[in-house]
Amino acid sequence: MALSARLLALRGSPFLYKLPPYLSALCVLVGIGWILLLPLNEYSRQTYVSENAILPGQVHTYFGGSEHNIFRAFRQEVYALSQQSEDARQAGVLKVLADSGLKTASQPYAYQVAGESINGTNVYGILQGPRADATEAMVLLAAWRNFDDQINYSGVALALTLARYFSRWSIWSKDIILLIPSDSTYGPLAWVDAYHSICIPPTASRNISAVPLKAGALQAAVALDYPAGPWGQRFSSLDILYDGLNGALPNLDLLNTAVSIASGQMGIACTLHNHGTHSDSYRDRLSVLGSGLATQSLGHATGPHSAFIPYHVDAITLKTVGDGWHDEMSLGRVTESVFRSINNLLEHLHQSFFFYILLNANRFVSVGNYLPAAMVLAGSFTISALGLWVLSGRDDVLVAPLAGGMAKEKVEMETVKLGSDVALVPRQSTRTIQRELFVPALSLLGVHILGYIPLWLMTSLSRENLLLGLRTTTAVTLLLPLALAATIRLTRSQAQMLQSLSLILLGALLATLATLNFSLALVLGVLAAPLAFVRRSSSALVAAAQGILLAVTSPPVAVYALQRMFYPAAGLEKLLLELAKGWSAQGVWLLWVVWGVWWPAWIVGGVVVGSGVMSASSEPR
Amino acid sequence: MHLSALLSLPASLAFLTFTLASASPHSYTEHLHLLPLPQSHLHAHFNFTATTPLSAYESSHFRYFPRSLAQILQHTRTKELHLRFTTGRWDDEAWGARPLDGTREGGTGVELWAWVDGEGSTTVAKERWSELVNSLSGLFCASLNFIDSTKTVRPVRTFEPEGHHGNAKGGLQLLHGMLPHEVVCTENLTPFLKLLPCKGKAGISTLLDGHKLFDATWQSMAIDVRPVCEGKAGEECVLEIQQSVSMALSIPRSMRERHDPIPRPARIEDVECDESKPWNGHDTCFPKALTGEPAWTLSKVFGHAAKGACDLERDDQAFDVTLEVPSDRPVNATGASELTFPSTTRRHYRLSASSSFDLSLPAHSTPLGQNSPPSPPLYATRQIAGHGQERGSMHTTLRNPHAHPLTLVYMETLPWYQRPYMHTLRLANGKQEKMYYTPALDRKRGTHLELVLTIPAESTATLTYDFEKAVLRYTEYPPDANRGFDVAPAVIRILANNESPQFAGSYVRTTSLLLSLPTPDFSMPYNVIILTSTVIALGFGSLFNLLTRSFVLAEEVPPSPLAGVVRRMRDLVKGLLGKNGDVAKDEESSEVKDGKTAEISRYMREETKGKANGIANGDADLRDRRARGSP
Repeated sequence: MALSARLLALRGSPFLYKLPPYLSALCVLVGIGWILLLPLNEYSRQTYVSENAILPGQVHTYFGGSEHNIFRAFRQEVYALSQQSEDARQAGVLKVLADSGLKTASQPYAYQVAGESINGTNVYGILQGPRADATEAMVLLAAWRNFDDQINYSGVALALTLARYFSRWSIWSKDIILLIPSDSTYGPLAWVDAYHSICIPPTASRNISAVPLKAGALQAAVALDYPAGPWGQRFSSLDILYDGLNGALPNLDLLNTAVSIASGQMGIACTLHNHGTHSDSYRDRLSVLGSGLATQSLGHATGPHSAFIPYHVDAITLKTVGDGWHDEMSLGRVTESVFRSINNLLEHLHQSFFFYILLNANRFVSVGNYLPAAMVLAGSFTISALGLWVLSGRDDVLVAPLAGGMAKEKVEMETVKLGSDVALVPRQSTRTIQRELFVPALSLLGVHILGYIPLWLMTSLSRENLLLGLRTTTAVTLLLPLALAATIRLTRSQAQMLQSLSLILLGALLATLATLNFSLALVLGVLAAPLAFVRRSSSALVAAAQGILLAVTSPPVAVYALQRMFYPAAGLEKLLLELAKGWSAQGVWLLWVVWGVWWPAWIVGGVVVGSGVMSASSEPR
Repeated sequence: MHLSALLSLPASLAFLTFTLASASPHSYTEHLHLLPLPQSHLHAHFNFTATTPLSAYESSHFRYFPRSLAQILQHTRTKELHLRFTTGRWDDEAWGARPLDGTREGGTGVELWAWVDGEGSTTVAKERWSELVNSLSGLFCASLNFIDSTKTVRPVRTFEPEGHHGNAKGGLQLLHGMLPHEVVCTENLTPFLKLLPCKGKAGISTLLDGHKLFDATWQSMAIDVRPVCEGKAGEECVLEIQQSVSMALSIPRSMRERHDPIPRPARIEDVECDESKPWNGHDTCFPKALTGEPAWTLSKVFGHAAKGACDLERDDQAFDVTLEVPSDRPVNATGASELTFPSTTRRHYRLSASSSFDLSLPAHSTPLGQNSPPSPPLYATRQIAGHGQERGSMHTTLRNPHAHPLTLVYMETLPWYQRPYMHTLRLANGKQEKMYYTPALDRKRGTHLELVLTIPAESTATLTYDFEKAVLRYTEYPPDANRGFDVAPAVIRILANNESPQFAGSYVRTTSLLLSLPTPDFSMPYNVIILTSTVIALGFGSLFNLLTRSFVLAEEVPPSPLAGVVRRMRDLVKGLLGKNGDVAKDEESSEVKDGKTAEISRYMREETKGKANGIANGDADLRDRRARGSP
């Protein structure tokens, strides 16, 4: 009883009104600290193969002997074809496939992005499993040009050799599709889109043609990236790429199968995100985790496999790295063994994790351990929003002393009763003022609609104008809050309501996003964290400090920073083009999240700071 | 209709049919037709035909006709039966038209259709059909009993009776069912062979070995029972059973040694290199495309030679094996007499009863493409498109490669959990003449759709419709690993058309499909069940233990008679030791020497004394309790 009476009396306590920003700050610190804990042994686990049917590395691989001679010849053939015209190249690849007994077809595609067109043709062949019933298929991918735009000589030759070798086996329970797209990003994308398309001409906006030949439901895809030239080059380790579009990940079992076959059966070291020297220290684990967060949050394709994952087709890319003593036959045997394992599957890969963060090739953090980090970050916005909502309904009289000054006049008290509890509280604390919600709600809506203008600019301008578009957007973005604050003239309560609504929306969107693309939600949560702490202040110094903090963490500035940090060589225009391509062709949400979620929230934060400056300048008059 | 279907059969089979008609009413013939296919494949068609006069059938008198099957047919009043067991795919792009125009093959898995005498009532027919599938299920070791009402349809235009039913035709009802998921294997072959008069012990049926048959790229076992009244008026009608096995074997795969079937990489000497390539060298070899036909022998392809002949009253001109190769190809046959007919490409062999028959053909270098295989009436593919757990779309493409339009019946049966949206049904590039549609009823009946279509010359028609995937109850999922649900293949029958009479009556079937439905993660409930069972077992076990066990104090336990014996023995030994003073002295001196030990032992003695007291107290306590409890 005593406790409940005390809690009742606490309603008016200045302490409660002061608490939310500190709680929010705590949430941000916990969220960031949480990520730093993940690489520790206590929070991560050793990977394991969960699906019993896979039996990785349990079969003897026979790829070798005369297949090596054939591989060398195919590699020469691929080199010879690379010297010829595009049509002759496709015809040559189709002929090799047809001679190996595959059913062949090709699919041209063209995308129009930012005034540029992406053209190419997917060449593919279907090896009908002699005893299979045409209901399932697995895909072996070897893009003609790899992700770094080198010709994938050895990868394509190895895929062709494997297709010829696989056709002699009668054990296949699924058909095997050998897909050789022109490039590593848009070719597989066009193919897999058309494969799953419901309409016959796949999509009107993306100019891709239908896939003329199909083979049942796709179960898994493995891509080979081995650009060694016609005379070959041995490699030291395999880099396994696993990120899909929009941060979707393949089933962990597929990755584990590849790792356990390559390292366990063949003795080839496996790396992730090209971390060649991984000593399994905390530092190395954290750096792989950081790379994983970066690629996942960008959500763009990281290899030919990426396009498959949104269609629930688990896919990975095996990329050769370095100069060592493993030859193409080892990679061939790894691929053979992986396909034998996938062939063993009775049902779609479903046993293991779909949400994970990898620390090295055989250590991972599962979703239950990492998700709270992003959720806590999203929670920091919600807490601030709730605090601001309560403040927005309070009278200035009481709130003023909280803001720093001391109220000298006598505080009128009254008793409140709740059941049998009685407490004496200031009268002001029980009285609410009318919240004028119309202007803040309308402003919030307006700002969110405005967000589509930079989104449209950044995705629809032609390549030459993209840079100009970004500069204009930056200038407008930085000036817009002041202009809005000057025109709308919000009262203190309205400014608090506007910020509260914006933050609660941001918190909810980030929490939702965290379940879809954890990394993006986390990165955005950290970048947008200042928005929960900016307040309307009449002090010019405080307002200036807040303004500078906001300007540094503004969305356009982040784009500049992104270029400086990750693409120092490529240039800003290239980055913008890639982002535009990602939105238009790959269907990546990143730009929508930046311009449609973060940008409006940032503008609202700016308006709140700006309204303080405006009210300060108008008061003396 | 029937006559035209017969005419379209290859000459060898037609020949058989005519010989049958003139033979005695009880007759049995068997025949093997071998035809090398492009891409190093070999098509083998085994045909076993037995007949019995209808009067003998009615009075249960059988000679060659299998009694076990006949009794089922009699009991269920089945007048015509067609049963198919099929696996694999016929590659019609490489191999051309299907054998016997697709009339003796089924869709992937098991397909059954029959004309049952329903005496004018659909329920009677349904009951008899149900009895039929259940009996056949036992006879052929197949899950035919799963053809229940949800998988049974009554096709309208797709099937016509092959037999002569005379006036009874009106009362017959056609029922059709498919099991696309059924895996056809040895356990289906054994009962199939058991129906033959020679039971796989003699004649061409000895070639049917499960290892080779089920390693074929495509294989279809068929049983067709029909009444035949081919003869002159007044001659009795016969009931004919045709058992056939049709398969397309890959010659290189079948020719592998039985003890080492692994397709290891060939030795480099055995790989034919394309020496025109500039980089051809000792370690670089561009393989030449295989154009010819590899050498093969019958005994290696089928695992062993044919043993003897199934010699049951046949005339001298009958032959068992036909090999269809160009006349200039050398063929080495042993254990058979070659019969000559005025045919350039066919060689006929008659097996001898005492020796084993083998054929061997050397490798053939000239490409088979010179005389390309007859083109099929139609190329058909059917696929499920779309992704996600809620909706999907069915795409069927029908390509007519000929210079004349084709009229056909397209039949689909869908399981009830695949609900088509009929308003989205679109046919591009073709004409829909008629539609027969029976909508599905949840858990009672599947969708049955038959379309009569006309496809213009040299064009591709596309049939699409969207469908919705139903959510099943958890008990409706099969207990095995969930790869999805199989959807039965579509059956396409080419109708007689003024411009294309040669294809009339031929059948084409598409492949079966995999439909993935929203599936709960069954491992989760499994884990829950395991955990709760463990908890309950632990809780129940210990509680049950507590309730049923009676607890008593150690003193209440009656003393064991052995303990008394041991105590007496110990006392005896102690008494003996007590008498012997020297030993006691020795003991004492050792205690003095090692004071610590002595102390410990003394302490221990005290301890035991205390315990003894305790026990005594306990005794007293127990006595007290007894005294208190007794009144």
